[in-house]
Amino acid sequence: MQRDVPPDEAARALTEIGRRQEQVIALSVVPVWYWWAVAVLMVGLAAAVDAHRPVLTGVGTVVFVLGVLGATGAVVLRGLRHAQPRDGLLGATGVLSILGFVAAVLAVSLPTAFGLRAAGIGHSAVWGVLVGAALMVTAGPLLSARLRRGMLARAAGTPR
Amino acid sequence: MIRARFDDLIHAPTRLSIVALLAATQWAEFRFIRDSTGLTDSALSKQLSTLEEAGYVEIRKAFVGKRPRTSARLTATGRGAFERHVAALQEIVARAGASVLPRG
Repeated sequence: MQRDVPPDEAARALTEIGRRQEQVIALSVVPVWYWWAVAVLMVGLAAAVDAHRPVLTGVGTVVFVLGVLGATGAVVLRGLRHAQPRDGLLGATGVLSILGFVAAVLAVSLPTAFGLRAAGIGHSAVWGVLVGAALMVTAGPLLSARLRRGMLARAAGTPR
Repeated sequence: MIRARFDDLIHAPTRLSIVALLAATQWAEFRFIRDSTGLTDSALSKQLSTLEEAGYVEIRKAFVGKRPRTSARLTATGRGAFERHVAALQEIVARAGASVLPRG
């Protein structure tokens, strides 16, 4: 039995539901600073390795590993402290988008680096990673926005 | 296909906010729900108890170190009731000829 609810009240309730779901999903979306942090760490590691000095390579590797772990941990813990978004909100499309993004960064970085090296240009690894990092900071936030839209659509139960 | 069923228990404004938050989560911290909805501790406890009595919500109490931590999650019954309630709301709006856009 359904009580007589005015359409505007029902619409307001649906808006409220969407707003609350957005609050939860916002917790799981990667913030813009994360892309910058990983990009800077990548370039730093490439520069350290490219210096061909064992000490710099070691320090660069440690800073990179700790930096990525710290940044990723901060993003994950931010969500876990408050609420864990429902399983399945990311969806197969979301997972494929993330894998595609990683593949795109590699597909840009590696050929650039090898191409420059073949052309005899110095610091080719740094330049290659720099191009990948530029892609990361420009396309990363776009990926986050796409994932957020997909998760909202799945939370609402409607394809968007 | 979800069968629409209006749920008066869920439709009350504060409970609608709480259930909608929980519907997007595996579980949520008491403090997160309280801060998100703007309810006081006692008001949220009361609403969660009502939902728990209806079998819609499960409340977990644990300790992290020496600090108590309360979290809540929707049960399968609660999730089903919420999905049917959303379907009922969408039906009402659709019947009125308006587009159903559950976001503002």
